[in-house]
Amino acid sequence: MRHDLTLQGLAFRLRPIADADAPMVLELRNNSKLNRYIHATSPHLEDQLTWFSRYYERPGDYYFVVERQSSGAAEGLISVYDIDAHAACGEWGRWVLRPGSLAAVESAWLIYRCAFEQLGLERVYGRTVADNLPVVSFHDSCGITARRLLPAHFNIGGKPVDAVEHQVTRQSWPEIGLRLQKLAQLTARKLQRS
Amino acid sequence: MDRPQVEATVLAVLAAVLKCKVDLNSSRQNTPHWDSLKHIEIIFAIEDELGVEFSEDEMSTLDSLGKIVDVALAPHAA
Repeated sequence: MRHDLTLQGLAFRLRPIADADAPMVLELRNNSKLNRYIHATSPHLEDQLTWFSRYYERPGDYYFVVERQSSGAAEGLISVYDIDAHAACGEWGRWVLRPGSLAAVESAWLIYRCAFEQLGLERVYGRTVADNLPVVSFHDSCGITARRLLPAHFNIGGKPVDAVEHQVTRQSWPEIGLRLQKLAQLTARKLQRS
Repeated sequence: MDRPQVEATVLAVLAAVLKCKVDLNSSRQNTPHWDSLKHIEIIFAIEDELGVEFSEDEMSTLDSLGKIVDVALAPHAA
């Protein structure tokens, strides 16, 4: 949906995605090193713009560009979507970062802050292709213990694949958030010195 | 520190952070627990242990034990 949320972090920020970002979305989501575990994306700009036009009208969907504060350079994409206002819960994902980006921890921290602090959600979950072991491990490393297997949850490349769901609640968020914040602070200090 | 000492230090940090078996051939590619979050923990722990400082570019590319040791032993890192 069209939104005006911007989350300022320490070295990075999340800002609303716009039509001008379509080439970057295509570049990232069609990068063979990055797209093994995500749904296929048309390589055509007009298809991405059509997707955006539908997204702008879709309630409960907040799509962001992850960008470097110091330079404004886009380093990736992240979203919170499928928000159920009645249950005060939503999913976060569409998470793709440029190879070598150090924005992983801070962008995760910021999207959780968006969900809990800006949108007032009570529960946020992420669903990862089970074979995507580094990303499954990332969520585990955040300290998230509420996880479950969702058999054949995704269809990737025409095949059903299992997902691992990690769930963070308003109750578990402070501890997880503190862990992410500390690591984001360390990383930001490093980036500010570079 | 000579190379074997640096290797031993890096191995100890990797084992402590990743909590899994590691060896001199360990890399992000062959060690699924070496995720983006653990990578940050590993790099800062190694900086503390060895008294070196890696650049941003190095942080992004230090994706194996061997590369970490090579860069830690390079003169500019000390």
